[in-house]
Amino acid sequence: MPMKLLKTETENELKVEMILHAKRYSLTLNKARCTGCGICKEICPREAIEIKKVPKAEGEEAKPPTIDVSEEKCHYCGMCEPICPFGAPEVMVGGEHVVPVIKTESFPQLIREIEVDATRCPLDCVDCEEACPLELIKVSVHTPEGEEVTDIESRQNKENLTVTVDIEKNFCPCCRLCEIKCPEDAIHVLKIFHGNLRINREKCPKDCQDCLDVCPIPEALYLSEDGKIHVNELYCVYCGVCKIVCPEDEALEFNRTYIRHTPVRSGAWNRALEKLTSTEVMKKELQTKSSKKAQESLLESVKKTFPWRTET
Amino acid sequence: MSEEPRIGVFVCHCGLNIAGVIDVKELTEYARTIPNVVVAMDNRYTCADPGQEEIRKAIKEHKLNRVVVAACSPRLHEPTFRRTVAEAGLNPYVFEMANVREFSSWCHPSTPEEATEKAKDIVRMAVAKARLLQGLETIEVPVTNKTLILGGGIAGISAALDLAAMGFKVYLVERGESIGGHMAQLDKTFPTLDCSICIEGPKMVDVSRHPNIEIISYADILSVEGFVGNFKVKIRKNPRYIIAENCTGCGECRDVCPIEFPNEWDMNMGVRKAISVPFEQAVPLVYTINMDYCIECYKCVDACGARQAINFDQKPEEIELEVGTIITATGFDIYIPYDNSLYGYGRYNNVITALELERLILAAGPTGGKLVRASDGKKPHSVVIIQCVGSRDVNKYEYCSGFCCMYALKHSIQLKEKYGDDVEVYILYIDMRTHFKGYEEFYQRARDLGVNFIRGKVSHIIEDPETKNLIIRAEDMALGEPIELVAEFVVLSTAAIPSKGTEEMARILNVTRGADGFFMESHPKLKPIDTATDGIFLAGACQGPKDIPYSVSQGSGAASRAATILSQPTWKIEPIIAVVDPNKCRNTKAKCGICETRCPYGAIKAPEGQPAQVTTAMCHGCGTCVAECPADAITQMHFTDAQIFAQIRTALEKNPQDKILAFLCNWCSYAGADLAGTSRFEYPPTIRAIRVMCSGRVDRDFVLEAFRLGAGMVLVAACHLPYDCHYISGNVKMKARMEALVKIFEKLGLSPERFRVEYVSAAEGVKFAELIKEMTEQMEALGKEEIKAENEKLQPTLEKMLSKKQA
Repeated sequence: MPMKLLKTETENELKVEMILHAKRYSLTLNKARCTGCGICKEICPREAIEIKKVPKAEGEEAKPPTIDVSEEKCHYCGMCEPICPFGAPEVMVGGEHVVPVIKTESFPQLIREIEVDATRCPLDCVDCEEACPLELIKVSVHTPEGEEVTDIESRQNKENLTVTVDIEKNFCPCCRLCEIKCPEDAIHVLKIFHGNLRINREKCPKDCQDCLDVCPIPEALYLSEDGKIHVNELYCVYCGVCKIVCPEDEALEFNRTYIRHTPVRSGAWNRALEKLTSTEVMKKELQTKSSKKAQESLLESVKKTFPWRTET
Repeated sequence: MSEEPRIGVFVCHCGLNIAGVIDVKELTEYARTIPNVVVAMDNRYTCADPGQEEIRKAIKEHKLNRVVVAACSPRLHEPTFRRTVAEAGLNPYVFEMANVREFSSWCHPSTPEEATEKAKDIVRMAVAKARLLQGLETIEVPVTNKTLILGGGIAGISAALDLAAMGFKVYLVERGESIGGHMAQLDKTFPTLDCSICIEGPKMVDVSRHPNIEIISYADILSVEGFVGNFKVKIRKNPRYIIAENCTGCGECRDVCPIEFPNEWDMNMGVRKAISVPFEQAVPLVYTINMDYCIECYKCVDACGARQAINFDQKPEEIELEVGTIITATGFDIYIPYDNSLYGYGRYNNVITALELERLILAAGPTGGKLVRASDGKKPHSVVIIQCVGSRDVNKYEYCSGFCCMYALKHSIQLKEKYGDDVEVYILYIDMRTHFKGYEEFYQRARDLGVNFIRGKVSHIIEDPETKNLIIRAEDMALGEPIELVAEFVVLSTAAIPSKGTEEMARILNVTRGADGFFMESHPKLKPIDTATDGIFLAGACQGPKDIPYSVSQGSGAASRAATILSQPTWKIEPIIAVVDPNKCRNTKAKCGICETRCPYGAIKAPEGQPAQVTTAMCHGCGTCVAECPADAITQMHFTDAQIFAQIRTALEKNPQDKILAFLCNWCSYAGADLAGTSRFEYPPTIRAIRVMCSGRVDRDFVLEAFRLGAGMVLVAACHLPYDCHYISGNVKMKARMEALVKIFEKLGLSPERFRVEYVSAAEGVKFAELIKEMTEQMEALGKEEIKAENEKLQPTLEKMLSKKQA
């Protein structure tokens, strides 16, 4: 059978496929998880991903951009999957969930450091579950036998019951809302992306709150009493979707300064890191993580391949 | 030669080929009456030994100093008779041929009287030219005893090994990453069923080990300049991003590479890594990084380690080679029938091409030799093989691809021998063509194994949406009624087509292609390996579909043809070149240099204040500069102005208003007219043709002179634009010149249909015949009187134009 390149789109997902007689590849984008931030677009080595802005209807809220993947260009390397803070893409090779670049350690995985000490949890508290804007947290109470309890009030021997907090970590952008809202200090979260986000309010178009409309994390951006948008960097995950929809070039200052990830030695990652942060950050990472010798050889290869990059 | 011309005319019967139509006796009698003809005789076969002996005897007896043979096309036997006159002590260039077979007897069989009259004109024109012929000295050029072979398939490999064994240096240039060609893609070979790579692999290794052979793979030909014995070839070596000398072929880099992409070698049915070789037995065994897919993670650099074979910095490299001969062995491609909706290829998952089947049943293929359906991964229990997909199809490729019958038999035998009664095999065919040694026995073997042969054409294929099986409707010609088959797998035996890039290669090499798109040989029977360009030869399927034994034979044949040149210290070139008369050249007084800008080969230079000079060995003898020279200072030897004017005047001596005077370029249009004759396409005997080497030679004055003399019509026919010209761009120069002339004629009031520029290739015999029919009809529609009246009006202006030129 000749090679087939397909694209199918439903309400919930966008799927591109490369079907060969002997092997098939697919990339599925979960549209509910995707925020349209475009991090995947930034790092795609084949420029297969496109951000499509959704036009704003009069009197309505701004909608987040959508992502389109070209079935002609995608070659299923899988770099978009591990880099997505929301875990929206999924790559399948030969019917199995395999990320080629992870398999060969050509790309790192994001580190989501989320620690939960459920022993501190009161039995009737679901604050974290309610706080999670992405509905990734599920709090449950169990008997020692492992039976789930739904009627805590009417139970005897409440001291025997234990609380479990399940978090779907793979889809968590680490906004820390659960941590801050937890009354018992039971959750600790370290951010994946670090960075800066400032709003130059004098540049904002009048009555525009597009950034606020599309932000996936409530309270990261908020409308204050003066009618202007403010940033609460405590919650910001630095996905950057606000920057994409912002109609004014200089109204939003946005940059990333650090990405928490598993250690890796890969030119592809260095390039991705540089695109998502800056040349400086990329160099700094090379310096800190490598021994001097290894670092030199890597920089040398970067210099050889991308001479313009080391000029600054 | 200032001596009085003594011309002998020898009329050939060519059995009944000429004598069957033309009154040879009358023609011979007539020849005797032409001034300067001292002897005329006829012979049944002038080209045979007794015929040639008769010429030699007559030269001695009658002290002949010019010879005319009225027989076939000069493209066939001019060299033969030049040798004959040389043997009798004359210069070979005092010979002229009158083409009365292709141009008269064969194309006017139903009007013998007119054919005879036309033949008389042709002979008289030849005699007119012969009067003015001069002896020429052959030019000798040195020969570089190295050869270039384009394409590393089995034909190129055979040619390379043979020439290397003879002691000649061989550069084997391959576009792909590895030599081996299509043969290395195959599982088994017919009719012996030996494993293809097992017999080709050792040959590939021999090539890589031979001290006389240098493989230049992953490279493209940029340009070819020069001439026989002295070609200069520019080649671009594409970057593999691997340092070939350091690569050990271990494959450790491939193991760590994360990226996979469809492997063209596997017909895109399987994948290869972004750093890989197309197949395990690749020669040279050097890995390549596909930068279209590489994500530059540098895992391969780590894996390669101390060997340091990877270099992401590699750039394309241009090299120049000097060789004496070139063998073109660029092979074929397989037709992928996307555009033929009948077969459902690309639409139905279980319809594949035969080459895809080849990769499926090969143990080293993408499925590890498992025959599985793409729809469900299961082994099919019934396979229908359909023949002539694209081939022998008037809407697609009219020719027979030659080897499909045999590979279909091979596939069916392989399936039956492996799966026995577990698989039912059907072959739907038009004709089973199993000529050549051992092939018919192979067909019998397939029959004995129980393969079902159905003679008939497919009319319809549909897919069962549930089972993904295919329902095939066809006509069984043996039963004379429609049949329906249900197949779990359909295999299409698709046509062999000219390989991608054949058109560009034809342009670079200046080699013509036939109507089918394959390279054209110099003569289909007697020069099947040569091209029209001296020193360039053809091997394998680039000339037309060929199976392995045939390709190997032709590879060896091409090697031997190339060796005839390479083994000589010098090579003789025809002295039909341009010569400048320094006294006439204007460049001495004014800045002219037109000739320099018009020469397609850069063979003529006009330094300021000096007369133009021709570099003899570089001049190809097209005559474009001669026609363009405003001072008529340049002469093309053997095609001088005087000779051509003499031919024009002779052709238009009688009843000029009834005649079409045609200038035909030797390589395309003259050959096309020959083909019209060879194919016995009949057309009206109105045309009188003058052969020029290139249409670029056709001087404006030739056309003016023809109309001054009252010609009914004038035709200039050339090779197709833009690239078919045998002299690179002579046709382009001619076109510009004639377009300017058309404007003049418009003003003068010449009916536009009376002057025509056409493009007829060597393969377009039909087109030529149709063209002459059409022009004759137009001429008759205009009417004699109208033409005569127009001519009378035009004549004074034309005479003025021509006399001004001569002053």
